[in-house]
Amino acid sequence: RAESQTTFNWKMTNAYPPGAPFYVQGPGSPTDFCKKVEILSGGRLKIQHFAAGELIPAMEGFDAVSKGLVEMNAANAYFWAGRIPAAQYFTTVPFGMNTQGMNAWIYHGGGLELWNQIYAEHGLVAMPMGNTGTQMTGWFRKPIENVGDLDGLKMRIPGLAGRVYAELGVTVRLLPGGEIFPALERGVIDAAEFVGPYQDRRLGLHKAAKYYYTTGWHEPTNVTELIINKKAWDSLPEDLRAVVRTAAQACNVESHAWCEAVNADALTDLVTNEGVDARPLPADVVAKLKEVTAETLESLAKADKTTRKVHDAFMDFRGKHESWAAVSEKAFMML
Amino acid sequence: MSGNEWLILALIGGFLTLMMIGVPVAISLAVSGFTVGFIGFGPMLFSLLPARLYGVVTNYTMLAIPLFVFMGVMLEKSRVAEDMLETIGRLMGPVNGGMGIAIVIVGVLMGASTGIVGATVVTVAMLTLPTLMRRGYAPSIASGTICASGTLGQIIPPSLVLILLAEIVGESVGTLFAAAFLPGLVLALVYVVFLLILGRWRPSWVPAIPAGERATSGGLGRDLLRTVLPPLLLMMAVLGSIIAGIAAPTEAASMGALGSALIALAARRMNATLLRETLHGTLTITAMVFFILLCAQPFALAFRGLGGDHLVHELFALLPGGEIGAVLFLMLLLFVLGFFLEWIEISYIALPMFLPVFHGYGTDMVWLATLVAMNLQMSFLTPPFGWALFFLKGVAPPGITTRHIYLGALPFVLLQMLAVMILFFVPEVATWLPKAIGW
Amino acid sequence: MDGLLNRFVVKRLEPVVRAAGWVARAAVLMLVVLVATNVLLRYVLSWSPVGMQEAEWHLVSPIALLGMAYAVYHRADVRVDFLYERFGPRTRGWVDLLASLLTLAVGALIATLAIPYVMQSYHTGEGSPDPGGLPYRYLLKVFIPLGFALLALQGLIDVLRAGARLFSRAAPEDSREPRP
Ligand code: NA
Ligand code: NA
Repeated sequence: RAESQTTFNWKMTNAYPPGAPFYVQGPGSPTDFCKKVEILSGGRLKIQHFAAGELIPAMEGFDAVSKGLVEMNAANAYFWAGRIPAAQYFTTVPFGMNTQGMNAWIYHGGGLELWNQIYAEHGLVAMPMGNTGTQMTGWFRKPIENVGDLDGLKMRIPGLAGRVYAELGVTVRLLPGGEIFPALERGVIDAAEFVGPYQDRRLGLHKAAKYYYTTGWHEPTNVTELIINKKAWDSLPEDLRAVVRTAAQACNVESHAWCEAVNADALTDLVTNEGVDARPLPADVVAKLKEVTAETLESLAKADKTTRKVHDAFMDFRGKHESWAAVSEKAFMML
Repeated sequence: MSGNEWLILALIGGFLTLMMIGVPVAISLAVSGFTVGFIGFGPMLFSLLPARLYGVVTNYTMLAIPLFVFMGVMLEKSRVAEDMLETIGRLMGPVNGGMGIAIVIVGVLMGASTGIVGATVVTVAMLTLPTLMRRGYAPSIASGTICASGTLGQIIPPSLVLILLAEIVGESVGTLFAAAFLPGLVLALVYVVFLLILGRWRPSWVPAIPAGERATSGGLGRDLLRTVLPPLLLMMAVLGSIIAGIAAPTEAASMGALGSALIALAARRMNATLLRETLHGTLTITAMVFFILLCAQPFALAFRGLGGDHLVHELFALLPGGEIGAVLFLMLLLFVLGFFLEWIEISYIALPMFLPVFHGYGTDMVWLATLVAMNLQMSFLTPPFGWALFFLKGVAPPGITTRHIYLGALPFVLLQMLAVMILFFVPEVATWLPKAIGW
Repeated sequence: MDGLLNRFVVKRLEPVVRAAGWVARAAVLMLVVLVATNVLLRYVLSWSPVGMQEAEWHLVSPIALLGMAYAVYHRADVRVDFLYERFGPRTRGWVDLLASLLTLAVGALIATLAIPYVMQSYHTGEGSPDPGGLPYRYLLKVFIPLGFALLALQGLIDVLRAGARLFSRAAPEDSREPRP
């Protein structure tokens, strides 16, 4: 009874800057999550949200939550690949699974257990809290007709996909968000990957490059990660833990639904009003990317025992899900 | 007033007191931040400090600071810059205020290649201040002109302020770049007109180059080619490498740094001593800028931890006057905050909080963001806590006192208010260009 | 006191700050060369390794952090001398002593706060999240405690110098005199 009287005042930091739609504000966003938790808990769990730079810089959330300096952080797991190479798999895998498959793996395919096993070493509890859905390949100043067109291409593309492109001769350029537009517009880079139609339009990327490649092979889904300090989590009574879990699940659904809706409008606007040429990558380019991706993932799995374990679990589930998806979603899409 | 409000006052008051008696600005910031922060919520909050410090020194855009400073120091130590300003000054001939106008032009050119106030102010000051003093300019007008010209880079694209604002208001960076271009030029023009008027009204403050010197130094055309062309080429190397797509805005600074070394080489002034002096100058100036930015972190952490942002929010809630009232109040608020806080803090604190209000009114976000950028730029110049003023003080020769710098900044703050007013009543200054070029 | 100043401060402490300055100056030169090289290599040869791009901003850390003490040593830090220049020599001496004591305290405090931060990075084996990026992030983070410890050292140097000026009959030295 005494426990039910306790009020918890927590802090959540975020890897994304103030005002960012989806990542900070809007339906199913981290600020929305904080609001939902406060209402559902009848004000017993209050979470104060800080966007990147407000309390700590963008990429510092992992250490801060791990040490218990703040209780929660919102980000993507692949930001921590420098500490935990396997973390990549809890955000997205190139040619991996779409959002449905990813959610199935995480919630009911053993993904969440693996994720939390690995994070427990760092004193963390993890769960999904959002999803952008399928992202886009990105913006190109010139059309890509064949694999040879990638050779010597300068592209802003962080992470694992960057390594795959580099194998095909792409020059990988790391640029902060704010410099993508001027660099692409002036041709410092020939191509850039960002998020999806709604977010990319905000950045004005369509003013800088007209070819918008649609096959988001490198990010077929993208999970927003909620991490919670383990000690803080254990201090919560059972009902508040259920509130947090349920609010995160609600945000996972709602944020994805929101993205699906606004991206549809944004892409139509880009194509009809801005003269954007939206098209898929040529089949032989996709085939080559797929081949190199498989080799790259295999070499990563070879290098690290934990990555091996997560990789195998992910791929096992993918095989299982693929056969079902082939006769359900895929079959429906072909109707 | 609540306990926290008293603590916020103590935070600001403590900082101002320490700073005013002559404790280094950076140390004053850190000491007041730590002391008030520890009283307010104990040691826990400052465990987050190392992460913030790491964020400052690993911020990609900060790369431009040492690179631009290197360019400026190299041009100064090799006396290439001195020759350039002398010649432009002579070109301005009998015009009183001509050298000042030359500085505004240099400020626009530098501003068009970087958005780093520290680097621009420091570079322009090193390029021009010794020359101006020798020419008999009033120290306050000289330092005011330099600070104001140096901050032009904040409004003239590319600019860090605009990039961050674009992110916050949800417009594209390109649109804001286009929107801020004309207001930036208007501001530069206002400065030029002011200097021309000053030249007629108080010629002794902004003297022209003596007629005797102009007469004896023939061959102006050749001198122009010899002294002005190389640095101009250098500005073009920076701007050109951005426009031609060779370098991103931040890394373009390296083209300037490399180019300045090549120019010193071409002028046969490059040697081991010059390189050693340039590295020394670049290091002390860059470190001075970072010293302040780093020590501002405990201060900012305490301000936020004590709910300084909420205090500001509550102020806003008491407001009459609809959309125009809200815009005016925002301008006033940013202006006042600008006395105490860094622009990044201001944009993080005030803007995201009040944007819903303006979204509600259907305010043109491009116009609002440009107004905010102009206003934030003003905060660099407002005594006692204007970053441009600190940076200038860091490199000013002993003859220039804080008093000169504060006094000199005042007319330019007034001129900026005039420019903000023009933009307020004629929004097209900001909104026309983005529409015209389709951005 | 004067003997102490010469033996200890001038011979033992100040060379440490100057040596750190030497490292930071080398980092400035490397930064200029590296960024320009990266730009030109990418433009001419379309060649731009991720590690070399990361090295660009890695170099800012030693420049900024090792440079702080060096800047204070060379009196290149920013002070508002509005009132200071109106003070008498004794008052100035007290302000100098206060300022250097505070510098010592701030440097020591931040250096202490930063050590667990560096250790955490060391224990998790943190490296770049980008394939081809640089490993050993703790080597980069270690400049935070190092730089602020150096600042504390420079504070100590100035405490001893200001103390010597206030409490001995040594020739008064203006603490704001820039060093060559
Ligand atoms: Na600029
Ligand atoms: Na200010």
